[in-house]
Amino acid sequence: MVRVRLENVVKRFGEVTAVSGVSLDINHGEFFTVLGPSGCGKTTLLRIIAGLEHPDEGKIYFDDLDVTELPPYKRGTGMVFQNYALWPHMSVFDNIAYGLRVMKLPGDEVKRRVRKILELVKLVGMENRYPTQLSGGQQQRVALARALVIEPRILLLDEPLSNLDARLRIEMRTEIKRIQKELELTTIYVTHDQEEAMVMSDRLAVMNAGRIMQVGTPSEVYRRPKNLFVATFLGRCNILKGKVIGRHNDLVDVVVNGLKLRGVLTGKPLNEGDKAFCIIRPESFSVREGENLFRGTVEWISFAGSYTQILLKISDGRVITANVSSNFRAETGSEIKLYASSEDVLILHPEEEAMAYSKEL
Amino acid sequence: MSSFTKRLKRELDSLTTTQLSASLFILIFFLIVPLFYMVIRAFFHNGRLSSYYFQALLSDPNFVTYPPNLNFAYMSRTSLGTFLFVGNRGPDFGVLFNSLFVAITVTVFSILLGVTAAFIMARYEFLGKIFFRVVLLIPMLATPFVNAFVIGKVLGQNGLFNYVFHDILRLLPFKVQISGLPAVILIQTISFFPIVYLNALSSFISIDPSMEEQAETLGARGFKVFRSVTLPLALPGIAAGAAIVFIISLEDLGAPIGLSGAFGSGLHQKLISFYIYSEFIGGLGSVEQVHASTYALAVIMLAIAVAVFLSIKKYVTLRQYAMISKGGRFNPRIRKLGPLGLIAVYLFLLGLVITASFPQIGVVVLAMSDWAYNGLPVPTAFTPQFMSELVSEPDVLRSIMNSLTYSSMATILMLVVGVSAAYVIARRKIPGKDALDSLVTVPIAVPGIILAVGYLLFFATFFSGTPFDPFLNPGFLLIFTYTVRRIPFTARSVFAGLQQTHESLEEAALNLGANRWRTFATIAIPLIAANVIGGGLLSFVYSMNEVSTSITLSSLKPEQGPITFYMSQVIYSSGAVGTVSVAAALGVLLMSIQLVVMTVSNYLLKQRVAFLGV
Ligand SMILES: Nc1ncnc2c1ncn2[C@@H]1O[C@H](COP(=O)(O)OP(=O)(O)O)[C@@H](O)[C@H]1O
Ligand SMILES: [Mg+2]
Repeated sequence: MVRVRLENVVKRFGEVTAVSGVSLDINHGEFFTVLGPSGCGKTTLLRIIAGLEHPDEGKIYFDDLDVTELPPYKRGTGMVFQNYALWPHMSVFDNIAYGLRVMKLPGDEVKRRVRKILELVKLVGMENRYPTQLSGGQQQRVALARALVIEPRILLLDEPLSNLDARLRIEMRTEIKRIQKELELTTIYVTHDQEEAMVMSDRLAVMNAGRIMQVGTPSEVYRRPKNLFVATFLGRCNILKGKVIGRHNDLVDVVVNGLKLRGVLTGKPLNEGDKAFCIIRPESFSVREGENLFRGTVEWISFAGSYTQILLKISDGRVITANVSSNFRAETGSEIKLYASSEDVLILHPEEEAMAYSKEL
Repeated sequence: MSSFTKRLKRELDSLTTTQLSASLFILIFFLIVPLFYMVIRAFFHNGRLSSYYFQALLSDPNFVTYPPNLNFAYMSRTSLGTFLFVGNRGPDFGVLFNSLFVAITVTVFSILLGVTAAFIMARYEFLGKIFFRVVLLIPMLATPFVNAFVIGKVLGQNGLFNYVFHDILRLLPFKVQISGLPAVILIQTISFFPIVYLNALSSFISIDPSMEEQAETLGARGFKVFRSVTLPLALPGIAAGAAIVFIISLEDLGAPIGLSGAFGSGLHQKLISFYIYSEFIGGLGSVEQVHASTYALAVIMLAIAVAVFLSIKKYVTLRQYAMISKGGRFNPRIRKLGPLGLIAVYLFLLGLVITASFPQIGVVVLAMSDWAYNGLPVPTAFTPQFMSELVSEPDVLRSIMNSLTYSSMATILMLVVGVSAAYVIARRKIPGKDALDSLVTVPIAVPGIILAVGYLLFFATFFSGTPFDPFLNPGFLLIFTYTVRRIPFTARSVFAGLQQTHESLEEAALNLGANRWRTFATIAIPLIAANVIGGGLLSFVYSMNEVSTSITLSSLKPEQGPITFYMSQVIYSSGAVGTVSVAAALGVLLMSIQLVVMTVSNYLLKQRVAFLGV
């Protein structure tokens, strides 16, 4: 159990700045996730922590020890690589025993610990197989076992589930989480899958283009995103552009093409007269009366099992997406009213880079 | 600056430092420094910097004949009948330009034959294709000197050629004798075209068929597709093969020495390589006896080879070239042939295969019959005598033991240096790595005979009386010439293996606490074992077959000579009855070793073109 601290870490590859001034504080025994789109620098960040890349700037601390100059083999981290990196010329047993043999543990001890870890990852009986004789899920467990068996101070996981099929992925989520809690391991988990990140993490960092956009618990980042990137990356959003007309503590009044909305300010502060973005997630709408009213005609309505999706054309001609309770019925073309509570209307500062991203939506 | 030293300190762990210094030491001390010293010596006259020797060379009619003698052939009546003599009196441009003329002509012919054969094999389907694929590899089997001797014998006044085409078939109204430069060109072309063939073949095979199809959908047909799409895509591979042919033609000694055995002295000896060779075998007693014109000539040859190498390298880096030669990722486009096309293909391939594999077949016949000394165009009796002399004749046996010793030592050294260099190049990010990368490929551009001159000058001058003294221990130095000359290929084989293994496999070991040495030994090496063993075997064969440095340096102390040295001596002097046949028996031995190794390493490397560039 170790605290990990990154101080202003920068890593460049020629022209590309893969990691650009990242500072993080990860607590003892915490399951911490770095979430971001592919190419945003997650792997690089993880490799810097493992010592496989050296940062161009910044420092890395394990507890209070500066490990920036420490080579990978002296850091005591256990890493699971995205491609698992199992050694094809060694059996499952030898793969897992490798780290223990490096420590020069006696043979019996090696056997005992490998056996124990095989039980933990449910692979007993597979000792003599070779990696190519295993399924994707089994390979993933061997990689995990190999990293865990050395009792690492920090567990590093690089998209460990991305090569598995959907069902196995969900099964392994709970499995990894179970093992992590059981061993109380400080764990840094990298993924581009927002659902995975929310389900598994104690806290997570959302990363984009080498920078950390926001750090917080899953519900904090989801419900109170600090910028448009975080809001849109974590789930679908309706984005409405408007203008601030009033403020009441945390709540802000915004007018969007004549439609008056009240919501919470989650990002940078705004003043009266400023332009602003209103973000409303589809599931924030309800047919029950609330503070913000959306009147419009139903363009399209479809039943999606656990909810009903409505495309609603509002007064200014814009179409918003709303997911409401699945027993709601309405005809296409009919007029309906939907509501959203001011807690669920997120008001954001219209930053330049956020604008750029929102265009792709 | 302190961040730079910090970075150096981080990247230069003890494994990297050891690997880097081992490879740099060998390449600098046994390649760069001797050559550099030779160049310096060539530019000093009476203790002053001067181009005196070069001017002397260029104004000597023996080196530059002006106007050149362009008498390619003439008819003459002799006691044996009417003859068309080809190459007997000319062409002759002088030593310097003869070498260039031969190298250029051989390269052009090799490209024509090699590319045509490769295109046929890559793109057409016909009965007996597998047979031709195998038989086309026969010319790759090395039988230095004896192959040329066979050709000389066949093309001689009462050789097999005249016997068949004049005496029996009566196709020719006169007899033909080919000697001089045309004979050298013929021999080199049939020995070296397979290098272009193999490179072109793997390039053609690895061209994505959709590219050709795309051109066809745009209306291009037949030869136009070949010229506008196929050839440009394959050109880097072909060019690399052609450059290698040019350089090894320039330094070849097999043809002039083999022809000397068959015809005695003549224009086939008027080549740079042979001129330098004769300096070595003329009974050198000390380094002072080496003529200054020899180093100047060596410097000129080196400059030509390096210029050709660099101009090609600009065009195709060897790294890319290695990727091209992997080949076979796509299903190549295979077409059927019409009846006329089929006839043309068979005629071309049969002619090529018969001519090109004749020397190898002839060597086997020489080794097992009375052909070498019966004075007749054909053998008349089988005899096992010469094969058995391989083990019974003390001189022969000693040359075999010498070869085995030097080659195994050289193979070990090559693997150490090759693996070290390839590992640093493939895996580390140290500054100056690019220099090592270039340094490793330089030996391709250095003719062996030039390396021999460099060694002679440098080691005899500075290491006289030590184990490195070429007059005392030429055999010991051969270990290093083999190593240095073969490193580009060994390193490339290992590099290819490393490229195919994901670096994360090694990182996983580092992550689990293994230091770099342990990671290298337990993860990297086992994963590239096939490449290391395959590369090692090929390097061993290469060393057994090496000619230029073997026959020059060993002449300083004949009892240390390897197999090729023994063969060259026997053929060159074509002395006592039967000795040529013993040389042929040695040739058979070399071919057998090569065949076994080719099979094993092809299996290990699972790669059709393992012999690329040998
Ligand atoms: N070894 C490297 N050399 C050059 N560029 C690299 C290297 N590793 C990563 N990059 C670049 O850095 C950026 C971040 O990469 P990475 O950390 O792998 O992203 P992620 O894991 O989030 O997909 C990418 O633009 C990638 O191309
Ligand atoms: Mg990644």
